[in-house]
Amino acid sequence: MKDLLNLSLRLALICAVAALALAKVNDLTAGPIAEAELRAELEAVEAVLPPYAELRADTLGTDDGDALYYVGLTDGEPVGVAFGSISNKGYSGEVAILVGVDAAGKVNGVRVLRHAETPGLGANYTDVALLDAFYKGYGLDDRDWRVKKDGGDVDAVTGATVTGRAIAGAVDQGLRRFARDRDRLLSAPASAAEETQP
Amino acid sequence: MSMYATFVKGLWKENPIFRLLLGLCPTLAVTSSVENGIGMGLATTFVLLCSNVLVSLLRNFIPKKVRIPAYIVIIATFVTVVDLVMHGFFFQLHRSLGLFIPLIVVNCIILGRAEAFASRNTLPLAVADGLGMGVGFTLGLMTIGAVREVLGGGTVLGLPLFGGGYVPVLVMILAPGAFITLGFLLAGMNKLEERRAIRAGEKYEPPRAMDCGSCVLCTMDENIKGED
Repeated sequence: MKDLLNLSLRLALICAVAALALAKVNDLTAGPIAEAELRAELEAVEAVLPPYAELRADTLGTDDGDALYYVGLTDGEPVGVAFGSISNKGYSGEVAILVGVDAAGKVNGVRVLRHAETPGLGANYTDVALLDAFYKGYGLDDRDWRVKKDGGDVDAVTGATVTGRAIAGAVDQGLRRFARDRDRLLSAPASAAEETQP
Repeated sequence: MSMYATFVKGLWKENPIFRLLLGLCPTLAVTSSVENGIGMGLATTFVLLCSNVLVSLLRNFIPKKVRIPAYIVIIATFVTVVDLVMHGFFFQLHRSLGLFIPLIVVNCIILGRAEAFASRNTLPLAVADGLGMGVGFTLGLMTIGAVREVLGGGTVLGLPLFGGGYVPVLVMILAPGAFITLGFLLAGMNKLEERRAIRAGEKYEPPRAMDCGSCVLCTMDENIKGED
């Protein structure tokens, strides 16, 4: 019994010290982590939008939940809009992308924010030149947003059709959502929006 | 054993990957590129060093009966620290290693060294052992990563190695490539050892780390039972 108490107390002491240390480290890193996440997201936003002077982040309440849009403005006029889209049809788990469109509604850039696709195959979709070649310059109605294998117009990496299908689907879905929200978003009073410097 | 000998044994003679065949999960999973290998190796080295230090310092405080949970708490704490720090300050690396960082907790090298070495040696020796094993692990991951990246992607550290005509052998970057590379490297190392033994006029013994009878952990456990 005395032995049991001794063992429990010592183990509890080790756990308590570990917990305290972790709480401290968590405190110290929470700021940098949030900053790094935000920086990565803003970098992606900057990469997919045409050049802009200021950035407005707008959250719209829609029928299928809140939608976050980044609107790039020059002289108060929107020059492009970036929005996220997620597909759960990736080869391994979710693929989260960010789509940017120009003022005419054509895709200006696509970036993969988060994925767990196969290195060397699906993971090639992080290549910027490849993403531009596949998606840039097309609007929602300019093409059939399915991969060629499914009868559409979108190219896919050989051997990584599943990932290509997931991303093309996510772009399509994002564009549809944007088409639906567009009027509401671009006429929204700027005062209600949260302002972020690029 | 001197500190130098303790450090050096992790590099070749008791290399965790090629001689002890420990920690094969990260070895096979993250070595699709040199960069990933280095990142994973350094993260593991840090955890290994810290856990060796603490386990060695606390070796008279931690009761034998609860030593495994105590080691796991210590190791998990350092792994979480690495995870948080990497997430905040090495964002890209954290993104590519992602899932495998928390799994360092169950990397047998770390628990193995805590149990088989640090818990029965003084602080300086435990430091030397942790560093040696960590560096050996990192070098091993880099080697496998280099082979796979060169053959499977035609690049080293992301820099193209051949002209545009090179067609990457994709399988090398996929899971089977890890097994193939590890197999050939193990065979090569055995061959080198055999040649060295013959030249030195010794009788060559194949590595016995895979055979259960020579596993250090089991004999350790018996020793500890005997002491109680």
